[in-house]
Amino acid sequence: MIKDYFTISYKEIRRKKLRSWLTLIGIIIGISAVISLILLGSGLKNAIESQAQGLGSDKLLITAKGNPLTPGLSTDAVKITTKDQDVVDRVSGVKKTSTFSFTTAQIDFNDNVRYFPIFGSPTDPEERKLIGESQNYDIGQGRSFNKGEKFKAVLGFSHLDKNLFGKAAQLGDSILVNGHKFKVIGFMEKIGSPPDDQSVTIPLEIYSDIFETGDERGMIIAQVGAGEDATKIGQDVKKALRKHRNQKEGKEDFNVQTPEDLLGTFNIILDMVQAVLIGIAGISLVVGGVGIMNTMYTSVLERTKQVGIIKSLGAKNSQVLALFIVESGFYGLGGGIVGIIVGVAIAKFVELVFKLAVGPAFLLIKIDPLLLIGALTFSFVIGTLSGIAPAYQASKMKPVDSLRYE
Amino acid sequence: MLKDYFKLSFRSAKHRKIRSFLTMIGIFIGIAAVVGLISLSQGLKTAVSEQFSNLGSDKVIVQAAGGGFGPPGAAVTLPITLKDKEAVAKVSGVDIAVGRLIRTVKIEFNDEQKFNFAVTIPKDKEERDLVMQVNDYKLESGKFFDSNSKGEVVVGSDFAKDYFEVPLEIRDRITIQDKEFKISGILKKSGNPQKDSTMVISESDLRDLLDIRDIYDIVPAQIKEGEDLALVSQSIKKALRKSRDVEEGKENFIVETPEQVLETLNIILVIIQGVLVGIAGISLVVGGIGIMNTMYTAVVQRTKEIGIMKSLGAKDKDILILFIIESGFLGFFGGLIGVILGFSFAKLVELVAFQLFGSFLIKANFSPLLMIGSLTFAFVVGTISGILPAMQAAKLKPIDALKK
Repeated sequence: MIKDYFTISYKEIRRKKLRSWLTLIGIIIGISAVISLILLGSGLKNAIESQAQGLGSDKLLITAKGNPLTPGLSTDAVKITTKDQDVVDRVSGVKKTSTFSFTTAQIDFNDNVRYFPIFGSPTDPEERKLIGESQNYDIGQGRSFNKGEKFKAVLGFSHLDKNLFGKAAQLGDSILVNGHKFKVIGFMEKIGSPPDDQSVTIPLEIYSDIFETGDERGMIIAQVGAGEDATKIGQDVKKALRKHRNQKEGKEDFNVQTPEDLLGTFNIILDMVQAVLIGIAGISLVVGGVGIMNTMYTSVLERTKQVGIIKSLGAKNSQVLALFIVESGFYGLGGGIVGIIVGVAIAKFVELVFKLAVGPAFLLIKIDPLLLIGALTFSFVIGTLSGIAPAYQASKMKPVDSLRYE
Repeated sequence: MLKDYFKLSFRSAKHRKIRSFLTMIGIFIGIAAVVGLISLSQGLKTAVSEQFSNLGSDKVIVQAAGGGFGPPGAAVTLPITLKDKEAVAKVSGVDIAVGRLIRTVKIEFNDEQKFNFAVTIPKDKEERDLVMQVNDYKLESGKFFDSNSKGEVVVGSDFAKDYFEVPLEIRDRITIQDKEFKISGILKKSGNPQKDSTMVISESDLRDLLDIRDIYDIVPAQIKEGEDLALVSQSIKKALRKSRDVEEGKENFIVETPEQVLETLNIILVIIQGVLVGIAGISLVVGGIGIMNTMYTAVVQRTKEIGIMKSLGAKDKDILILFIIESGFLGFFGGLIGVILGFSFAKLVELVAFQLFGSFLIKANFSPLLMIGSLTFAFVVGTISGILPAMQAAKLKPIDALKK
C-alpha cells in the first residue's frame, strides 16, 4: 500500500518533466546556498581551530589585558615583563617558559619602504623551540638564530616573492628595520596566513633595544609538564602573578589562556555572521517551498478527475491526503539530494580557490554526515509542509463533483 | 490593442487567484529581502558619511604610518612627535594644528576594573576650541574641566550609564591607572557609539599617567578659510618630510582628508552590501523560476483559448507579447508588494535597533531610485521568466490547440 504512494507520486512527477524540474530547481538552489554557507562558515572555524590545536594542549599564553583587538600587543596601561616570566617559571608544574614580542616595523629593502609585522624571538634554542611549537613556525630555507646573534633576521615565506618589495629577497641580503641593518639568514615555511608570511623575525634582545621596550614582553608562553592539567596549572600561574603584581582576584590586568580560550571570542563573532548569512540564504528556501506549493495546487487541479475515480473506487480521504503529501515530500527530498551535492561542490570549489590564492590556513571544509542527514530531513519536511494545504484540498473533493469536472 | 494585452493579463491573473498569489509570493519575498538589505546598508553609509561631513571640508588628519589594528597610533613604528606637530602648525595655510593621544587605560570604579580608551584634549585655548567644535562635545550635566585643572575627566553618556554596574554621576571619583580622578561632566547622548563611550582627559594628565613624553597619536589640522585643501596637504607633507628627515616617496606618515578616510570605509561597506544583497538575490532567482513554472502551466491550460485566438486572426507575435506581459505583470505586482514589505522591514529594524542600542547608525534609507529600480527589476525578472513559455504558446498550431 505504501509502495503505491511512492509509485504513483513518482509517475506523476515524471509525467510533467519540465514542471517538475523547475519546481526542483527552486529547492536545489535554496538548499545548495544554505549548505555551502554552512560549510564555508564551519570551514573557517575548523581551519583556525586546527591551528590552535597545532599549538598543543600543554601551553599557556600569558598576555596583558587592555587591548581587545590585538592581544599580546603591550599597551601603555599594562606591561608584562621578564620579571613576570620568572614568576611563571617558578610555578610548580611549569616545565619551561619563553617570551616574545611583536609590533609593526618599517622595513627597507630594494629601495622600497613598507610596514610589516615584526617579531622579537629569543635566540636561546630551547626557548626558541617553545615559541616555534606555539606558533607553528618552521624554517624553510637557511637557518634560525644561533644563541647570542644580534643583527640577523628571519623572513616570512612571502618575502621570497617579489611582490612585497619589487624584488625577491635572498639569503645574505641586507634589510633595514626601523633604520637598523639586518642580514637575512633564513626564511620560514609557508604558514598560510598573510600577516605571518609577511613578517620579519629578529632576536629579542635587539628588538628590545630598537623599540626601547627594555624588559617588557608581548607574550609569555609556558609549557606545562607532561601529564599535568594545563587548566589547573593555569590557575596556579594566575595566583602567582596576582601575588607578584599585587592584584586581587577578578581584578587581574593580565590573561592566562590556553590556545583554545583565545578562539572563544572569535568564534562567537563568526557564529553571528554565519547565522545572518544563512538566514538570508534561507529566504530562498522559503521561496522554493512556495514553488512546491504552487506546483502541488496545479497538480491537484489537473488530477481532479483522477482523484474522483480513486475515491469512487473506495479510497479514503486520508489516503488521498497521504498521496499528495508524499508527492510533495518527494519534490523536497529530490531537490534536497541534488542541492546537497551542489552545495558541497561549491564549498569545495571555494576552498580550492582560497588555497591557491591565499593560503591553506583559512579554510578547512569538513563534511559532517550529521549536517547532510539534517539537510535531507529538512528539505523533505519543507516539501511535505508545502504540500499540506493542496493535499488537504484534494482530500476534501467530493467524488461526484470531481468526476463531472472537465 | 495594447490596452487589451493588459486587460487580458489582468483577468487571467485574477482567474487563478491562488496560483497567481503563490507565484507572486516568490517574487515579493525576494524583492523585500533585497530592498530591505539595500535600504539598511545605504542608511548605514549615509549615517557614517554624515559623521565625517560634520568635520567639514577644511580638515586634514596626520598620523604615523604602519599602524596595526586599532586606533591611530597603535603599534606604529615612528610616532608623530611634538616637533612634527609644530611643523604642521607652522605650514602656511594651516590655521590650527591639534595633537591628540588615544590610549587604553585601566579604570576602576566601585570595585570594578575595566579597560577603555581615553582621548586627550590639549591646554591651548584655540586648540581646545577646535577639538570641542569638531567633536561636537555637548554636555548633559556638569562642566568641561578647564585648561588648568588636573585630575578631572569628561565621559560619554554610554560610558556613564552602562559601563559599570552602577551608573557614574558628576563629581563621582574613579581610579585611572591607580590615580584618583573626578568626573567633571557627562556628555549628551549623540547616537555615535564611539563618542558615547569615550573618556576625555587632559593631555598633561595622560602623559603623566602613562609616562608618554614626546609623541602624539593623531594630529588633526584645520586649514585656513579659502585655502586649497590639496595644496596645503602637499605643504604639510613637505614640512613633515623635513621634520622627520625622510625622502619623498619614503614617508613614514599619512596625511589624509576626512573624505579619503571615508573612501576606505565605504569600500568595506560596499563589499559587505554586495555579499548580503547577492545572497538575498538568490531568492529572487528562485522566484523567477516560480514565474516560469506558472507560465508554462498557464500555457498548457489555456491551449484551447490560444487556439481560438489564433483562429480568429491573432498572430504568433500577439500571443508572445500577451504571455510576456502577463508574466511581467506577475513580476511587477510581486515587486510592488515586495518594495512595500522591504521598506517596512527596514524601518522596523531601525526602530528596534534604536530601542536596543540607542544608536542612529542603523537607519532605513528610502531612496526613490531604489524603489523605481526594484520595480523595474521585478518587472524584468517577470518578463524574462516568461519568455520561454510565451514562445511555446506562440508556436502552437491552431488546429492542434483547438483539438485539445
